[in-house]
Amino acid sequence: MENEELSGIAGLEAPESTSDVEELTQKVDKALLERPGFSIRARLALVFLLFFILSAATTIGTWMLLARLQTRLQFIEIADQLNNEALQARRFEKNYFLYGTNLEDVLRHIETAHRHLSSSKVEFGSIVGMESLERLERHLGRYRELIFQLRQLEAPGRDNVVEQRAEIERTLRTHGAELVSFALELARRERSTVRTLLGVMKGVTVAFLLCFLVLSVYSADFLSRHIIRRLNRLMQLTKRIGEGDLSPIVPARKYRDEFTNLVVALNHMIGEVERRHQVMVQSHKLRAVGRLTAGVAHELNNPINNIMLTAAALREDYASLSDDERLDMTKDLVEQADRSRKIVRNLLDFAREGEIEMGKLDVREIVEESIALVANQLKLSRVKAKIDLPENLPPVNGDRQYLSQIFVNLALNAVDAMPQGGTLGVSADLEAEGGFLATHVSDTGSGIPDHILQSIFDPFFTTRPTGQGTGLGLSVSLGIARRHGGDIRVTSREGEGTTFTVLLPILEVPAALERDSSGFVG
Amino acid sequence: MNERCLQILILDDEPIVGKRLRAALEKNGYAVEVFEDSRAALRRLDEREFDIVVTDVRMEEVDGIQVLEHVLERSERTKVIVITGYATVEVAREALAKGAFDFIAKPFKPDDLRQVITRAAAALEP
Ligand SMILES: Nc1ncnc2c1ncn2[C@@H]1O[C@H](COP(=O)(O)OP(=O)(O)OP(=O)(O)O)[C@@H](O)[C@H]1O
Ligand SMILES: [Mg+2]
Repeated sequence: MENEELSGIAGLEAPESTSDVEELTQKVDKALLERPGFSIRARLALVFLLFFILSAATTIGTWMLLARLQTRLQFIEIADQLNNEALQARRFEKNYFLYGTNLEDVLRHIETAHRHLSSSKVEFGSIVGMESLERLERHLGRYRELIFQLRQLEAPGRDNVVEQRAEIERTLRTHGAELVSFALELARRERSTVRTLLGVMKGVTVAFLLCFLVLSVYSADFLSRHIIRRLNRLMQLTKRIGEGDLSPIVPARKYRDEFTNLVVALNHMIGEVERRHQVMVQSHKLRAVGRLTAGVAHELNNPINNIMLTAAALREDYASLSDDERLDMTKDLVEQADRSRKIVRNLLDFAREGEIEMGKLDVREIVEESIALVANQLKLSRVKAKIDLPENLPPVNGDRQYLSQIFVNLALNAVDAMPQGGTLGVSADLEAEGGFLATHVSDTGSGIPDHILQSIFDPFFTTRPTGQGTGLGLSVSLGIARRHGGDIRVTSREGEGTTFTVLLPILEVPAALERDSSGFVG
Repeated sequence: MNERCLQILILDDEPIVGKRLRAALEKNGYAVEVFEDSRAALRRLDEREFDIVVTDVRMEEVDGIQVLEHVLERSERTKVIVITGYATVEVAREALAKGAFDFIAKPFKPDDLRQVITRAAAALEP
């Protein structure tokens, strides 16, 4: 159910402007908070409730077993007494026959035994069966009867006393023996029931322990996975944010919990970082504009000079010129005026702080405009520009100003790296992984030593003397590329030159697929 | 006035500059050769001596200062006039220090250059 943890993030487009950033943040906040809440607290409470139910059930079960055990033990006592009375009766019976003691004692014990038996008749019946119980009662009854007969024999004036006595004695013995063995059997059965109950109780405790163990393992595992998974997701998210993907975090699960508040806070942070980045991009651009302006002013001198020379010549020689010559001159005038206009417009377009407009862009055009902006810097350092871009490059999705800022920054860095002149090359190819257009901006300059290669994209990292570089050029450029779903890579050889590769996703491939296949979200 | 007309070489990578200046100066009776490519101009300068060389300072490949040095190595009497962008005062100063006759800042009118050339011509006269 949590496989789709990280889905949906990639689907969002790059924020389009400051107000859009806010709007998007609000929308995502709403989506995050509108989900039904199932807090970790509630989950914990649920687990503890389960534990309580388990313990309560076990306790009640044990209590009931104990109660039964208690009654059983009472019955054992009764059975023992019954047994005892029967034995006593038989002892007195024997004495009577051997020594002629009285029969009253026998009778007393038999009465008591009878009382015990009838007090727990139902219970005994359930243990040994009603039929056996009746037999026992019959034996008891007969035994009593025989004792009475014996008593009558003792009365004076009876015949055949000896014979009758012998006869009674025999029957009495049989019934007595039956009586005792029944009573013994009763006690034995009762005891074995108690043993069974005790066995069950042992089983219950072991079963409880096992249930408890399973439940604890499961709940511990569930909770920790639940929490750890969220922590992992947050870790991945912060990594993504660190890598410059500042699209807001969107809900990935059905329920809202304590982590949701954290995510909402993170989204606000992302919004803030995004705004700051836009400010930084803009201020670094203004710096670049400052640098470009001097060059552009020089560049403007050429068409203006051409216009001045042509216009002056036209006025001077107006009468003596042929129509063709005059036409040629006015054509030059228009062309040169147009050239000036282009130069100015190019710079103004670049400098303008416009709305971010994502659209289908031709990298070739952007590169050409950017190189035109730095044309004078190139000329001053005697750097030759070699732009080798095929006509039909696949379009990329992006903001024109943003992307030209990348190329202007790279070109200015290249110029700085080649104070004695060199070649600035721009070429492009489709990245092997697919979906990316790779534009290579290379120079034949000083190169970058290995030990600072990892730092050059860090904000404020610069090797230029204080006051000359902000160290923001590459960091801003990388930020822009990342916001376009792309990247910037660098290879360099000290003393030979440097190549920066700008990767931008090609428009035809949906951005979401792109990111998945690049293994970024994984 | 000397009989032989003044030999002038103009070097600027903007084609219109050469085109207009040639017309403007030939009208005054000077012999003008125009180059856009500095290497070709240097080769021509090796072949023969010019009285006056007008060169732009900022060009790809070879810049005006190098042209200036090249010319003066060959013929000290040649007057070199350097065309600069208006903001490059340092370059103008450097050119003068290296022996340029004068400089003229873009944008300029043909008359501005004519005046400088007239002064250069006067300086050429012993
Ligand atoms: N093409 C290059 N060749 C050699 N070193 C480079 C190149 N591009 C960048 N660097 C190195 O990377 C550092 C950081 O570049 P970055 O553009 O971020 O800042 P910066 O150029 O120093 O400052 P700013 O762009 O504000 O002028 C530079 O100081 C330089 O040392
Ligand atoms: Mg830079």
